[in-house]
Amino acid sequence: MQHFVLEQALNYLIDQGNADLSALNGKTLHFALEDLPLNVNFVCTNNRIFVTTDTSIGADVDIKLKSSVFLALLQGEDLTELLRQDKIVIHGDVKTAQLLVDLLQQLDIDLEEALSKYTGDIIAHQVGKLAKNFKTSDNPLEALKNELTTLLVAPSKSSLFKNKGS
Amino acid sequence: MDKTTHFGFKDVDTDDKQGLVRGVFDSVASKYDLMNDVLSFGAHRLWKRYTIASSNVKAGDKVLDIAGGTGDLAIEFRKKVGDSGQVVLSDINAAMLGEGRKNLINNGVFGVEFVQLNAQRIPFADNTFDCVSIAFGLRNVTDKDQALAEMWRILKPGGCLLILEFSKTDSELLKKFYDFYSFNVMPKLGGIIADDEESYQYLAESIRKHPDQETLKSMVLNAGFGFCEYHNLSGGIVALHKGIKT
Repeated sequence: MQHFVLEQALNYLIDQGNADLSALNGKTLHFALEDLPLNVNFVCTNNRIFVTTDTSIGADVDIKLKSSVFLALLQGEDLTELLRQDKIVIHGDVKTAQLLVDLLQQLDIDLEEALSKYTGDIIAHQVGKLAKNFKTSDNPLEALKNELTTLLVAPSKSSLFKNKGS
Repeated sequence: MDKTTHFGFKDVDTDDKQGLVRGVFDSVASKYDLMNDVLSFGAHRLWKRYTIASSNVKAGDKVLDIAGGTGDLAIEFRKKVGDSGQVVLSDINAAMLGEGRKNLINNGVFGVEFVQLNAQRIPFADNTFDCVSIAFGLRNVTDKDQALAEMWRILKPGGCLLILEFSKTDSELLKKFYDFYSFNVMPKLGGIIADDEESYQYLAESIRKHPDQETLKSMVLNAGFGFCEYHNLSGGIVALHKGIKT
């Protein structure tokens, strides 16, 4: 159902004249998150975008990344910088991928809300926070390390919950 | 084409099916909307709303609604395409088309064109429409492959096909309830409200004979569509197949 929401939001942007699809018309972009079940094709045709789970046909561009990197990207992180850091894998024309990213960056979707369906509210919030820090930090690796610790339950805390169910 | 086909659970001569289906819809046309509301508990309106939202139809588009009956989809498509677009409401059955015309006038919707047509031989040129829809109509078509090929032909490249149709549920519990409801309650309600138990017995049978989600998806792809996916609605009792002509 997330891809339905994504499709509606993208086409709304196009309808409102806030997005120019001409450079993407006729292109199919395969987009996959490595750690979440989002694996879709963006079919750009007839001046609209169809977001389809049918990925059986080869795409012009193949984009693979982790959900936290996707969040960072949506919050304005530079695609070339992420590419340079090997945080995103693109097979095909990078310029076409950039056009899709530009379009996605215009969306005002609450991704933490979308993530929470899979991960629960707390982890979704932490991933969102991680992405924000990742973007603003001078040292993204340090930010990543610090934030990752908040996603894990400390051993001292986990012992408190060990016999909770019994 | 095979010499026989199914009409509900009966095998009939292929040439006879069209006339038999016409008989069903001639009989139920005047009570069609009321029966849909009663039998689906109003859910058919939600299924159709989801279909419209999935269409990505926009102002200026050309839309053909096949087996459009009483015009539920055509009314919404007309709002979306605006005065610069075109909506054609079609049905093989004159009585249903007549009900559609009445319904549109009653809703104050004008500017929709009406065409009586057979989905297996659509009288429009290649690459004409941005969107073709068929809601609860494909299972009544004798040669579905031929009809899908025709729909592909008249769509523009990048055009979208929407098939809203009864399908198969995976839930054993839901299936048991649904089977009981379909074969024991629906025909009785058809008898009471539309004075036609037999037609609603056919409805239940024709649903069971219709291809399941994956089979229909294969048929859409075989017709030439580049992409096809489906979404189950109400646990798979209904599915929306969406094909894109690439």
